[in-house]
Amino acid sequence: MAKPPTRRRMAIVATLTVAGLVVAMVCGMVVGPTSIGTWRVIGDVFSHVGIGHSTLSGLQSTIIWQLRAPRMVLGLLAGAMLSVAGGTYQGVFRNPLADPYLLGVAAGAGLGATFAIVGAGTGVATPTWTPLLAFLGAMVAVSCTWLIGGRGMRSNASTLILAGVAVSALLTSMQTFLQQQSSSNSIARVYIWLLGSLASANWHSVTMVLPYVALCTLICVASGRALDVMSVGEDESRSLGIRVRQVRFVVIAASSLGTAAIVSAVGLIGFVGIIVPHIVRLLVGTSYRRILPISVAFGAMFLVFADTIARTVMAPSELPLGVVTAVIGAPVFVLILSLRRPVVR
Amino acid sequence: MNAVEIRDLTVKAGSATLVSDVTLNIESGTWCTIVGPNGAGKTTLVETVAGLRRIAKGSIAISGHSLSSLHERERARLVSLVPQHPEVPSGMTVRDYVSLGRVAYHGLLRAPSAGDRRIVETVLERLSLLEFCDRDVVTLSGGERQRMVLGRALAQSTMVIVLDEPITGLDLRHQMEILELLKTEVQECGLTVVATLHDLTLAGQFADRLVLLDKGNVVLDGAAREVVRSPELSERYGMNLRVVDVDGSDVVVPVRH
Repeated sequence: MAKPPTRRRMAIVATLTVAGLVVAMVCGMVVGPTSIGTWRVIGDVFSHVGIGHSTLSGLQSTIIWQLRAPRMVLGLLAGAMLSVAGGTYQGVFRNPLADPYLLGVAAGAGLGATFAIVGAGTGVATPTWTPLLAFLGAMVAVSCTWLIGGRGMRSNASTLILAGVAVSALLTSMQTFLQQQSSSNSIARVYIWLLGSLASANWHSVTMVLPYVALCTLICVASGRALDVMSVGEDESRSLGIRVRQVRFVVIAASSLGTAAIVSAVGLIGFVGIIVPHIVRLLVGTSYRRILPISVAFGAMFLVFADTIARTVMAPSELPLGVVTAVIGAPVFVLILSLRRPVVR
Repeated sequence: MNAVEIRDLTVKAGSATLVSDVTLNIESGTWCTIVGPNGAGKTTLVETVAGLRRIAKGSIAISGHSLSSLHERERARLVSLVPQHPEVPSGMTVRDYVSLGRVAYHGLLRAPSAGDRRIVETVLERLSLLEFCDRDVVTLSGGERQRMVLGRALAQSTMVIVLDEPITGLDLRHQMEILELLKTEVQECGLTVVATLHDLTLAGQFADRLVLLDKGNVVLDGAAREVVRSPELSERYGMNLRVVDVDGSDVVVPVRH
C-alpha cells in the first residue's frame, strides 16, 4: 500500500497542474487554422491590461477575442465544473463509478435538448432555446431523483443512486421515442449535441454559466473536509458531529446545478467527470481536500487541451469533444493505473 | 452525578420493539457494560445513547443535557462512539484519522486549531500511536487499528464514551490491551464508559457494573460480581454457565450439558 502523499509531492503536483493549465490556455488561444504567432497573441493579451502594444490586425484580434478566447474560457469552466462535480459525487456516494450525470442530469438535459431540436422541425442550426430546455430538463431530472429516492432528506446514498438509474432510464426512453418520431436531420443534430462541443461558445454563453460554475465549484471545493469525514460511513460521521443528510443535500445540489448549467451550454461531454478525479486521486492521494481543488485546475487544463485537439486534428471539421476526452483520457488513466492502484473511499 | 440518564427508553425498528422501557442511571467516572445474548438489544441501546437511533418513547440525557434537544456537534462533544465494525478509509494517515475526532470543535470549513492538534498529539502519545502516526490506516494490524479508533473517540474529549463490542476480532493480548487502556482512562481521567461485550469474564473483570439485557428489557442490573454469579445469567443465555474463581477474579465458563 502506497504511503499517503507528502506536502512536497502535493506542492509539485499543484505547481505542475497550474503550469499545465497556463500552457493549455495559451494553446487554446494560439492554436487554430489561422496561424497567429504565440508571442503576438501573448503580447495582445498583455496590451489589454495596459502592458505593451498589440501587433494584431483587426481580423486577427476578432479571431482571438470573439472565437478562441470565449471557447477557451468555456472549456475551462466546463472542465473545472465536470471534474469537481465528478469528484464530489464519488465522495458523497463513496462510489468510484459516480460521475456528474449519475442522478439523471444527462438524461434530463438530453430530453430537454431533443425536445427543443425536434420541436424546431427541419433546420440546420440548433434552436436558441436548446440550452434553456436542457438546463430545465437536467434540473427536473435531479429533483425527481431526489424526491423519489427515499423522499429527500431521509434517503440514503444507495437509494438515491437507484432512483437516478430509474429516472435516467425513463427519460432516455422518452428521448429515444422523440428521436424515433423525428426526421433524420433532427436525429443528426441531437446526436451532435449529445456528443458535446464547444463550437458554439461565445461570451454570452460564458457569462450565462459563469455565476453557476463559480458558486457551485466553490461549494464543492469547500466540501472537501466534509467528504473526508464522511469516508468513515454515515453512522460514524454522525457520531463525529456531522449532519450527513444536510451536507449530502448541499453538495449534490451544488454539483447538479453546476453540471446542468455546463451541459446546457456545451452538451454532454463524457469521461471528464469520472476520469479526472481518479487521475488526481492517483497523484495526490485520497483526501478530498486535495482532490477537489486540484481537479478544478486539472479538469480545466484537460478539457482545453482536448478541445484544441478536437478542433485542429481534422480542421476545418471538428472531432466530437467527448470522443477526444475518451481517446486521451483512457490511455493516460491506464498508464497511471498501471503505476499505482487507485483507492476510492 | 449521573453521566447518562436513560428514562423509560423504547426504541423501535418499524413495528418491532428492540428496546423496551429501559431505565438506567450511569454514574460519572464509572464503567457500565451491557451484556446479553444475541438479539437482546445491546447494540440498539448503545447506538441510541450515542444519538444514532430515533427514540420512540422516553428520554436520554448526557451530562444533564437531553439528547433529543442537542445539535449534532453539541452531542459529539458530550458522547463519542467506538462502533463494532469501524470503517477504515484507506489512504488516510493514522494522525488524520484520529484528528476526525476534533471535527465537532473546529467544524467542516476550518482547519484544526493549534489546540486541536495538541489534543490529537496527546492522544497519539497516550495510546502509543506516535510511532506509526504517518502510516496509511489500512496497513495497521487489528490491535493497532482498534487503538486508533479508540484514539479518534478520545480525541472527541467527551466525558462519555460508548463502545459496541470493542474487542471483536482481536487476539487475547490485544483484547486485554484495549480494555486496560480504557480502564486507565476511567481511573485517571474520570471517563464514563458504556460498552457492550460478549465475553462475560472480561465484562466482569473490567466493568464496575453489569446490565443484563434480554429481548430489549433489563433483566439484571448490579455490581459486576453479583451479575456474573447470578443464576439468571445461565437462564437467559440458555446454557449452563459456571463461575470459577481464579486468583480472586471471576472466570465464566460454559459447560456442556
